[in-house]
Amino acid sequence: MIFMDNSILKGVRDSILRLFFIIIGLTAFSLVTLYSISDNPLSFSSSFYRQSVFLIFSSIVFIIVQNIKMKTIHDNSTMIFIGTLIFCIIPFFLPRVEYTYRWIDFGLFYIQPAEYLKCATVIVIAKYLSNNQLKVKDNSIIIIPLVLTLMSAFIVLNQPDLGTAVIICAPLLPMLLWAGVSNFLIFLMIAPVVTILAASNIITFTIWAVLMFIFFIIFHANIVTKSILYFANIFTGLLTPFLWNNLAEYQKQRILTFLNPDLDPMGSAYHIIQSITAIGSGGLFGKGWGLGSQTQLKFLPVQESDFILSVIAEEFGFLGILCVMTLCFLLIKTLLDIAFRSSDYFGSLVIIGLASILLSHIFINSAMTIGLMPVKGLPIPFISAGGSFLLSCFIMVGLVISFSKN
Amino acid sequence: MLKIDNKADIFHYRALLFILCFSLFSLLGRYFYLQVIDYERHFSKSQVNSVKALTTYAPRGLILDRHGEILVNNYPTYILTVTPYELKDRDEEFIKLSSIIDVSVEELNRKYNKFYRGRFLPTTIAKNLTFKEISQIEEMRLEFPGVQYSRSDERIYSPILNDAHFLGYLRELDRDAIPNFDKKLLYRAGELIGWQGVEKQYEKELRFSKGVDYIEVDTYGRQILRLNDNSIPAFPGEDLSLTIDANLQRYCRNILEGKKGSVLVSNVDTGEILSMVSAPSYDLSIYRGETLDSEWNNLLKNEDNPLLNRSIAGLYPAGSKLKLITVINLIEKSLVDPLDSLLCTGVYIPPGSTNEFRCWNENGHGLVDLNKAIAQSCNVYFYETVQLINLKDWTDTAKEFGFNELTEIDLPNEKNGLIPDKDFYIRNYGRWGWSERGVLLNLTLGQGDILITPVQALRFINHIASRGETPQLRLNLSKEISYYDKIVYAEKTWNHIWDGMFDVVNADQGSGWRARLKGLDVKLFGKTSTAENPHGEPHAWFIGFFDIEGSTYSIVVMVENGGGGGAVASPIAGDIVSYYINSFKSLAGN
Repeated sequence: MIFMDNSILKGVRDSILRLFFIIIGLTAFSLVTLYSISDNPLSFSSSFYRQSVFLIFSSIVFIIVQNIKMKTIHDNSTMIFIGTLIFCIIPFFLPRVEYTYRWIDFGLFYIQPAEYLKCATVIVIAKYLSNNQLKVKDNSIIIIPLVLTLMSAFIVLNQPDLGTAVIICAPLLPMLLWAGVSNFLIFLMIAPVVTILAASNIITFTIWAVLMFIFFIIFHANIVTKSILYFANIFTGLLTPFLWNNLAEYQKQRILTFLNPDLDPMGSAYHIIQSITAIGSGGLFGKGWGLGSQTQLKFLPVQESDFILSVIAEEFGFLGILCVMTLCFLLIKTLLDIAFRSSDYFGSLVIIGLASILLSHIFINSAMTIGLMPVKGLPIPFISAGGSFLLSCFIMVGLVISFSKN
Repeated sequence: MLKIDNKADIFHYRALLFILCFSLFSLLGRYFYLQVIDYERHFSKSQVNSVKALTTYAPRGLILDRHGEILVNNYPTYILTVTPYELKDRDEEFIKLSSIIDVSVEELNRKYNKFYRGRFLPTTIAKNLTFKEISQIEEMRLEFPGVQYSRSDERIYSPILNDAHFLGYLRELDRDAIPNFDKKLLYRAGELIGWQGVEKQYEKELRFSKGVDYIEVDTYGRQILRLNDNSIPAFPGEDLSLTIDANLQRYCRNILEGKKGSVLVSNVDTGEILSMVSAPSYDLSIYRGETLDSEWNNLLKNEDNPLLNRSIAGLYPAGSKLKLITVINLIEKSLVDPLDSLLCTGVYIPPGSTNEFRCWNENGHGLVDLNKAIAQSCNVYFYETVQLINLKDWTDTAKEFGFNELTEIDLPNEKNGLIPDKDFYIRNYGRWGWSERGVLLNLTLGQGDILITPVQALRFINHIASRGETPQLRLNLSKEISYYDKIVYAEKTWNHIWDGMFDVVNADQGSGWRARLKGLDVKLFGKTSTAENPHGEPHAWFIGFFDIEGSTYSIVVMVENGGGGGAVASPIAGDIVSYYINSFKSLAGN
């Protein structure tokens, strides 16, 4: 017993130490890169200077958060959620900042409440799912997490901030999976989305229909329910192109612009082309620190936050990207390990949710810089410049460390 | 101890680990492809890729009159734009700019906020810069990161003919309004868009198509080289030829000087509007460049409402010209014999009533037949005869001539007017608050609740002049001719109207004798109206038509609160027709 306890304790201590090193590595990348792209790094308005200040402030919060007792968070999770939700609604009653309701203007800096709603949603869902009285195999278990997630996402969507709304939805499925909700149910939640996406093309739709058929056979459930659900999916898929074509041109245009606000030949396409050229021209070893021509000539848009990976790729090459991606991998892997080894159900669920948020940020941001996703303006954790986001990342990891100590 | 509470199992751990590996490895794969496999291509591209895309513009189409005289032209100015993202210190740069270009910092900030459309997109902050100002900014280039200038055209109007109402003007487009416009035309905040008149109506044709220029720039964003390979040229907008005759328009404008009202002249056979005057007017050049708020407020608050295009959006009682509607009903249904005479004693008392309805001629017209009734506009004749007609028949006939609906002339903001029918009266006066006989006494004089626009009067006279079938009214010379619904009546009906209208001008006691053409061999047909209204003196109307060299032309004159149609509107109409015939002759003489 004593031996086991020691090994667990050692494992936890190792994990925490590893998290520290990963964060130091990522923030180092961030500062080095920001120094390179700032014209006058030591002036107050430069992104390097600002990020350094944010970093010091966030580190203090980081240390404070680590010492919060998990029980305190567990017991107050509903209050935390409601409080953050109200915080998110406040900007709608304030003057618009940069023509949206995303930010609250504090004079010296803006705060984006939606950053904290991500964590709060995860915490409140974790509390619900970790309730011991809950029957996990009961299908109705998904209703409350789904409602909470959609409610948060809906508010953020109206700010409007499609990117953050997507991020809020991201932890739902991994958390349900972790909680042990039946695989069939999780499949049922993914299926309609894939159906609608696949419906645009007859071949992908056929493949999906066959795959879906196989899945439906594998899963154990009432045969009538299964066939009804299957055909409902197929029907939705068949209806989709029909409905889409029935929309007027301007309505289609509106939906497309909604999904991709920069839909404009001179807008986002131009940015993505610049980003890809920057990345590709970096090569294996990069052009060197401060020597990226695309970066330094300011062809890259939002290079201190949304497109900071392109700067790293141009100046440090594929090896730089490999380092960043390895650090990101280790970050998420460590969180998964902690969650897996955690003795507490609530804490483990929260960690899974936070890991999903961080991974979604990493994936969507990188995919955007290489043109795999529309420009959404989502930053990458610990690297992108931006105070609210940096703080929320530190809070997330701080929570993980606090929970892992239990 | 281990995992007493935690229900996670190894399968779920592996599933999530798989998702993690899969997503990061697919990203890495793509990076590897771009940076290692496809490196050469991207690297060579980056060597020349200091390329910026610039939107280029071309002039808007010109507006010409029917003979090719330029009414609206362009002149080049410079506009100043900033790219918000590239600005180092907005406040400081704006202060410096304002010292060069004579625009206040507040104004620059106001424009900046109004036309902002994104951090990477140029925002217009000042217009109408001189070449000297631009040179000064260019000299201090390094102090203005993010500031650019570009050429832009402004409208300039012919000094002799500056007719605000049908030409219309351009306005800077607000960011919020952009979604309302055709996406294909690629509007951007701060750009000019046709906002009134034909500028608005033919925006699509007049507007240029944008182009793209790719330029190579140095570290400071200065242009080094223009790359022609991929650039898309900008094309000027199409020129628009109007049906307006500039000389006639000028003449009509001058004749209405100091009055309120409208003059319309059209070719009945083609529907072309030769002249469209609405007085008072305003100087279009106030829309050029920066419009001062005070100027704009003066226009808005002016009691004479110079912004209103009276020709298409001014609503007036019609007056006696609608007696012709009664005439049509009488003859088409053979309700009276045109040769039968009635006695006009100057007053009419409806059967069963004690109310007196007076003729405008208090002494009475004596014995009046149909022809004399039209020519002298005898009220009593029409009070008597309208009693033979149904309300519905009367309003249907009026609506056949296009009253109560748009003429669909190619101008924005036309008004409908109103021909009150049974539904209208029930809605407004209740089921028992009116009587069919009573309202007809008003309608037959074109009074009561009737409201028409001058252009509707023009359509009315064109229907009469063409005996039923007339083309849609238009200002665009190259617009295809399309016809209004044909009105079919017996020849004798048209004959009676024509005879009556001929006598209005040419008979001894015709109400429009002042319009008579002196020494000209042209037959002018007409009808005067004196439209009573609650706002003061009656509106003076004259509508008429005449033939020159095989073509039929029509004219509408309306002087708001001008007085009698015969005394005020007829001489104006006579002058305009004489002028037009003479200009025709002098053209033929040359």
